[in-house]
Amino acid sequence: MIDPTILLVIMLMASATYATRIAGYLFLRNRTLSPRLTQVLEAAPGCVLISVIAPDFISGRPADLIALAITVIAAARLPILPTVVIAVASAAILRQLLG
Amino acid sequence: MTDSALPTADNRAEFLRGMRVSFPVLLGFIPFGLLLGSQAAMKDFSPLDIALMTGLNFAGGSEFLVVQLWTWPPTIPLLIGLTILVNSRHVLMSATLAPTMRHLPRRKVLPALALMCDESWALGLDDARKRGGVLSFPFYLGLSTGLYLSWPTSAGIGALVGPILGDVTRYGFHMAFPAVFLVMIFGMWTGFRAARPWFVSLVVGALTYLAVPGPWYVPAGAISGLLAAYLWARPE
Repeated sequence: MIDPTILLVIMLMASATYATRIAGYLFLRNRTLSPRLTQVLEAAPGCVLISVIAPDFISGRPADLIALAITVIAAARLPILPTVVIAVASAAILRQLLG
Repeated sequence: MTDSALPTADNRAEFLRGMRVSFPVLLGFIPFGLLLGSQAAMKDFSPLDIALMTGLNFAGGSEFLVVQLWTWPPTIPLLIGLTILVNSRHVLMSATLAPTMRHLPRRKVLPALALMCDESWALGLDDARKRGGVLSFPFYLGLSTGLYLSWPTSAGIGALVGPILGDVTRYGFHMAFPAVFLVMIFGMWTGFRAARPWFVSLVVGALTYLAVPGPWYVPAGAISGLLAAYLWARPE
């Protein structure tokens, strides 16, 4: 039904994520976090997410780079659905035009 | 006693109030879930796989990340390490929520924290501050339940209908992923100064991608950014 490797990854993800959810409550509730640690933890998700899409910023295809620039502008201003529509449409059109 | 396990009228009212407050946020979850499901389907995850992942893990950033970096066989230590990194802010969130839950026993708090996401945390904390710093437990549960249920449901539906839509949008679909990631990143934007580590991650991630084959550009970029955040941190 479900692949054992996929199930293993899901169980490990779920356990790891649950551990992050209870850790602050269990271990840090009576302590004040240093501002430095707070700022590192606040920056963490953005650091990971931008790293995942870093290769898109050095694509060799001009069409994709222009589409990405349009997508950045859209993402800074619009909610998820219009952003994705603009991203997909501009990538498709620019690839048709520029190859 | 609004904290009683018994469903009193008061508890029910608080639960419903939580659901009402969460509703606009829930509507915002659905397109993310649909996209996650459709992108998971493109990586050959079944609707059941993705419903199980989103239902048990319930942290969107890490799920988009695992789907994006998915290979066969998967690089499990990398995926789990990045899951921990991207979700490490939960530590901060549950630590700041803890003082509002002093009146609650651990056996209630620990299961309830499984439902804590950015949105339920922010709305719950905001409500607790308005009530003298005490979290209304049934309100939090009402808040979390609708949000929680919408996530695996929309992701599962996305995986079912995604393959149909996938063909229509094939030509530009590769840009959907950066779009989702960028929307999540801008959602966390609090100013240029706080965002500087992200630029470090971007540059180091891109350079590592050019230099080293495989998915190692992600931990390289992420760790450089964290290091930058540590060094740039303001002491106050």
